[in-house]
Amino acid sequence: MAATKTQMISRRKFLKLSGALAASTAVANPCRVLYALTKDSGVKNLNEIREVFSACDMCFNKCGLIAQVENDIVKKLDPNPKSLKSRGMLCARGNAGVKQLYDPDRLKYPLLRKGARGEGKWQRLSWDQALDHAAEQLDKIGKQYTRCGFLFMAGTDMQSTFVHQFAEAYGSYNIISHESNCLLSRNRAFLDTYGVMPTPDVLNCKYVIMPGANRFEAIVTPDTMDLMTAMENKSKLVVLDPRFTKTAALADEWYPIKPGTDMAFFLAVAQVIISEELYDKTFIQEKTSGFEELREHVKQYTPQWAEQETDIPAKDIKRIARELAKAAPSAMVYPGRRSSDYEDSTQIRRSYAIVNALLGNWDQKGGLLVPKKVKPGSMHLEAPFYEDNPDDRVDAGMAQMMFGEEGSFKHTRDAILKGEPYPVKGWMTYKTNPMQTGANRNKTIEMINTLDFMMTVDITMSDTAWMADLVLPAPSYLERQDPLSAFLASSTCSGVITRDAVVPAMFESKPVFWIVKELAKRLDLGEFFDYTMDDFRKEQLKKIPEVAKAIKEDGVYNITGPSYGLYKGKPFKTTSKKIELYSTRYKSKGIDPMPVYKSPKSIPENHFRIVVGRNAYITQSASTNNNLLWELQKENHLWVHPESAAALGIKDGETINVKSSAGKVTIKARVTKETRPDTVYMDTGFGVMSNWLTNIAGKGACIAEILEDRADIISGNMAMHETFVTISKI
Amino acid sequence: MTQRKKYAIIINAAKCIDCKACMIACKVENNVPEGFWRNWINVLGGENGSVRTEFQPSQCMQCDDPSCVAACPVQATYKQDNGLVVIDPEKCIGCGNCVTACPYKARYRDPVKKIADKCDFCEDRLQRGKEPACVVTCPTKTRVFGDMNDPADPVAQMVKKEKLVQIVAPHINTRPNIYYFEGTKLLDWAVTPMLPGNVSMPREFWKTVSTVK
Ligand code: SF4
Ligand code: SF4
Ligand code: SF4
Repeated sequence: MAATKTQMISRRKFLKLSGALAASTAVANPCRVLYALTKDSGVKNLNEIREVFSACDMCFNKCGLIAQVENDIVKKLDPNPKSLKSRGMLCARGNAGVKQLYDPDRLKYPLLRKGARGEGKWQRLSWDQALDHAAEQLDKIGKQYTRCGFLFMAGTDMQSTFVHQFAEAYGSYNIISHESNCLLSRNRAFLDTYGVMPTPDVLNCKYVIMPGANRFEAIVTPDTMDLMTAMENKSKLVVLDPRFTKTAALADEWYPIKPGTDMAFFLAVAQVIISEELYDKTFIQEKTSGFEELREHVKQYTPQWAEQETDIPAKDIKRIARELAKAAPSAMVYPGRRSSDYEDSTQIRRSYAIVNALLGNWDQKGGLLVPKKVKPGSMHLEAPFYEDNPDDRVDAGMAQMMFGEEGSFKHTRDAILKGEPYPVKGWMTYKTNPMQTGANRNKTIEMINTLDFMMTVDITMSDTAWMADLVLPAPSYLERQDPLSAFLASSTCSGVITRDAVVPAMFESKPVFWIVKELAKRLDLGEFFDYTMDDFRKEQLKKIPEVAKAIKEDGVYNITGPSYGLYKGKPFKTTSKKIELYSTRYKSKGIDPMPVYKSPKSIPENHFRIVVGRNAYITQSASTNNNLLWELQKENHLWVHPESAAALGIKDGETINVKSSAGKVTIKARVTKETRPDTVYMDTGFGVMSNWLTNIAGKGACIAEILEDRADIISGNMAMHETFVTISKI
Repeated sequence: MTQRKKYAIIINAAKCIDCKACMIACKVENNVPEGFWRNWINVLGGENGSVRTEFQPSQCMQCDDPSCVAACPVQATYKQDNGLVVIDPEKCIGCGNCVTACPYKARYRDPVKKIADKCDFCEDRLQRGKEPACVVTCPTKTRVFGDMNDPADPVAQMVKKEKLVQIVAPHINTRPNIYYFEGTKLLDWAVTPMLPGNVSMPREFWKTVSTVK
């Protein structure tokens, strides 16, 4: 890829804002009341508007919002300026939330499958019929295959905790979240280095290097906004990404790194920092363990060597390493979020964690922080004991160091397909859509076809619901009362937010809290859910009464004040009580104690590596059918570099075949220099099977169809960048 | 006596991340029909072959010499005392003259209401004491809204302190009330408006202006 090797963009000159204004963007307080209603200003008759606080649920960020309600209709969602984590903003998806509420494609009543799985023939049931049926299946499967024969999977949602509690009361250990398709390998790496998953203080950082993450498109609050504010304040952003994302477009420097080689880059950065002694010696001595081993280990990883691996010139690697060290401790390797990319994705993130340690940015302004947080209480659940249950989760032991409470979607699916170590025959999903987000859709279908019973609770007929036997309608976030939820927000510390119903639930939709309570009653587990949401919240607030007051008045509770310098002299929660550059724990488990670089598999001739990503208008598969967001993007395309397209005779906009060992799709090509010649890309969330998603049915292609299902060896996180595809004219 | 307002927006395009929150917020606030937008983001480069480098938000500029007003045969479009150029839905006959008369392509014919429509800086919100929807929702606060006639207002201060520029059409200067930070790259998307033959335009319109201010 000689063509991309030296390509780099360095062009952004920041336009300075005056002091007062720059300050007002740093702290969110944009909603000044500007103009009072005056009689002589030709005022029209305005309807009365009721304002109700809530929290957005169009993605996981939970941005504070104020719903504008007119005659019991939610007309508009405005950002809540008091919400410090969201810096008083709502993104495009947040604004489109009204169309999650008022969506003609919503599920309206319980449905029972009538035809074959996935055929789309349904029969309407009453809630009583639906719940009786579900309870009967839960009971039957539990008796026949043990309680662990039923798998529970809940997405990121403030009520998912009740699905987990139900699973515990019911007696299954097989509970998985969406996270093993997302960020577990990142968590693993930082946890095993620092003993905790730190939060990046982007706002105060002077030099951010962002490998892979696309923070201006894949919005994470407050990082997205803070990154812009930091850049306004002259901080530097360097992006490593095979795609020219909007983050790359706005960065000071962009390097189209060869996919899968980020570890080589950071080991070389470590080599430069160590060999040139650019680190803080006291910090290294006091706070880290294994420095000598690391020094020896990285000797082999010179910038010259890394240039061959990464396609990034050695002189730039060296310069960036020095610049980082110079800006330290207010410099960071941004940890990123989704890390479901390679089979060694934990080790790749270990290399980020290690460079951060060398920069000495732990607990420093502009570094990696662990903000103060409040911990709402919870209802204590004394889970019953089921004698016939197996010893462990069905995916136990399939990864070297899996998070027991999260599991692995990939490994669970493989275990179910094999029927080993024991059969799992039932599945409940809540607001998660593995049919679209779990690599290898055909395998997911195969797994579903081995089940006796599958039920899905969701707002619309997702592809996962489409495959289920029983589909139960849930209300949107604007129609329900939720428990309190604590969040972390780096430099602005953290806080708590909650939701009350802005308007009553529409159709026959019921919150999952109500659903599990009803199921529990029918299964003689009613005693475990012997409380209302109000009781639950009271319990949560017991020790934090100030939270209730703030939430009532401002719609959010913020802990403010600096969140750095909080851990001076405190030991780390690791084996050595220090930051583990060298992990003795890994060593004892036969895992490389320091990241050892292996070149990614080379791309076979006439093949391309396909990568996963996002833009700011979609939350994977959960929002592509939204009436408003659909206007911004009606289908997805395969990004192909012009050189590669020309070699194959493919024109922009032409429909082409994309094939891997997992499956085959047709999709239109987007011929663009915004990706490397060896890398192709498509957005997630299209090519749906469910034709109840009327805006996007028949549009674009599903990336899960062609992604092969590999896993990170350490954490069991899905590895989605290990797939090679061929593309061809039709 | 309350002083006359002169609403304006100042845009620092270097801060825009093209998230399109402002476009959806506007659409919801103002019931803009499918396929139409009151505000937009111009992207340099883009689709085929070239790469994006800057995102530039825009909308109706509430011009001081609005060609849309001149082009309206029934005076349905007019400029208010507070600087906003608005459309009287009772009067508008939906002829579309103003749509082609705008050098910024800020107007559309609403296929539902069958009248012309465009951004009015969310006048309803202003009357409720709120800033325009696009302004408040923006993650990076790319737009700053305010009253140029109030010396204490941030926009009035920024006009004094910062180097600002405007986007002006090649052949006419409608004297827009949207300002951009100097250094904004894309200042060339305004077009020569198509004015209906039977509309007589004041002579000052036809001055040749290349850059402004
Ligand atoms: S980032 Fe956007 S979609 Fe996510 S919670 Fe915030 S407003 Fe909603
Ligand atoms: S931008 Fe166009 S529509 Fe708006 S006032 Fe100026 S000429 Fe009229
Ligand atoms: S909301 Fe702000 S950042 Fe997003 S597109 Fe609009 S102006 Fe740009």
